[in-house]
Amino acid sequence: MGIFDIYLPIAGIHFNVLILLGIGFAVGVLGGFFGVGGAWVVTPALNIFGFNMSYAIGTDLAHIFGKSIVATAKHRKMGNVDVKLGLISIVGSVIGVEIGARMIMWLSAIGRSPLRPGGYAGPVVRYTYMVLLFGLGLYMLYDYLTKDKRAAAAAAKQAAAIRAGMMEPKKRFQLPPLMHFPASGITISLWTVTGVFFFTGWLSGFLGVGGGFIRMPALIYLIGCPTAIAVGTDLFSVLFTGAYGCFTYGVKGRVEIVAAVIMLIGASVGAQIGVTAVKYIRGYGIRLLFAIMILMAGTSVALKQFGVNTLAGIVVMGAALGMCLVIMVKLYNGFQKEKAEKAALALKEGITS
Amino acid sequence: MRRLWFVIINLSWLSLPLWAWAGGGGEKVTKLDHKVDLANLSGLNYLLASWYNDSIWLYALVATVLMGAVGLAIALVTDVILKMIGMEVSKIEHHE
Repeated sequence: MGIFDIYLPIAGIHFNVLILLGIGFAVGVLGGFFGVGGAWVVTPALNIFGFNMSYAIGTDLAHIFGKSIVATAKHRKMGNVDVKLGLISIVGSVIGVEIGARMIMWLSAIGRSPLRPGGYAGPVVRYTYMVLLFGLGLYMLYDYLTKDKRAAAAAAKQAAAIRAGMMEPKKRFQLPPLMHFPASGITISLWTVTGVFFFTGWLSGFLGVGGGFIRMPALIYLIGCPTAIAVGTDLFSVLFTGAYGCFTYGVKGRVEIVAAVIMLIGASVGAQIGVTAVKYIRGYGIRLLFAIMILMAGTSVALKQFGVNTLAGIVVMGAALGMCLVIMVKLYNGFQKEKAEKAALALKEGITS
Repeated sequence: MRRLWFVIINLSWLSLPLWAWAGGGGEKVTKLDHKVDLANLSGLNYLLASWYNDSIWLYALVATVLMGAVGLAIALVTDVILKMIGMEVSKIEHHE
């Protein structure tokens, strides 16, 4: 037993404190920056280092709850949380999650055999997960690569419309009642909003994941939120799902509270870094890094599907650590640039006065 | 009137899962039939493990409240520290 090993009484194992702090820190940076819970990193990481899978999930959800409070508080200070939109997201998600979970139970029941005790649920979920991760990642990558071309085309179209004296066409799908979200600066049909969150909730219930990585792009592409607000609002929603997850897994006896608190300490430091980095990186930059991250997560799921479990763990952990490093370097560069700009401004003001 | 409709529609949405659960049961919660051995434990570990053994509901409640409280405390403390080192944040402009 090493000097940093502690006994975790609920899980009944000895575990290295530095590993817990390290995992917490890494997922804190990613969670604060991307607005996700990060269960897809923490659960396999804890499992690889010796946690039983059910304890890994419960402990992860408990730490996600605490971490999302830290990150949401900071995002709120930066004006990145649309509380109204976040609350509606919970309403739509609750129904979606319930129906998704029931579909999984139905899939588990059909096609059940001694060779396939879980029915069709396992393969269907894994393939849906892969299609979703790769589809979303490739779309966001495409969106990033073609953004300048599309902006130029939109500007040319608008200029042509003005020259021809035509009004800008009315937006589609504006079925009343319309709702205005001042924080995000959008007006959108209530049906669109609840429909989108119902769909993302259904996906998260179906896939058995927290849903942050689905909701964040949905807020950008389907609702029309600015990227930073999508990140902050998604974290606000994660706060509620994390609290519910912590309690329900606690009742099932699967939360190792000591480990969760230690991870939370690491995650809180990481979340400060992740959230602050949002200030220095433009929306499209966040989208690009997110696309790379979920493509790596998709690769990891694909490797797991083909039975290469160790490599799958290494890929997802490597991607998480690499992305943390990128975010920290971006934060450092942004902070230095801001400091230099402030110094130059002070110097200029000193000369003029 | 629009606000009233908004409240009614959303309350109806919210109650749907309850109807679904009432109608057909839903996923069964599988609790662990597991007791922690208290023999070699002391201090905080002993306290937490005792709660875990005695009442799992109390343990779940303590876990949830503790995580929330620690999260809030860390948020407040780090806010003060970051302000002291000049890395405080304020409202940002949203540019894509």
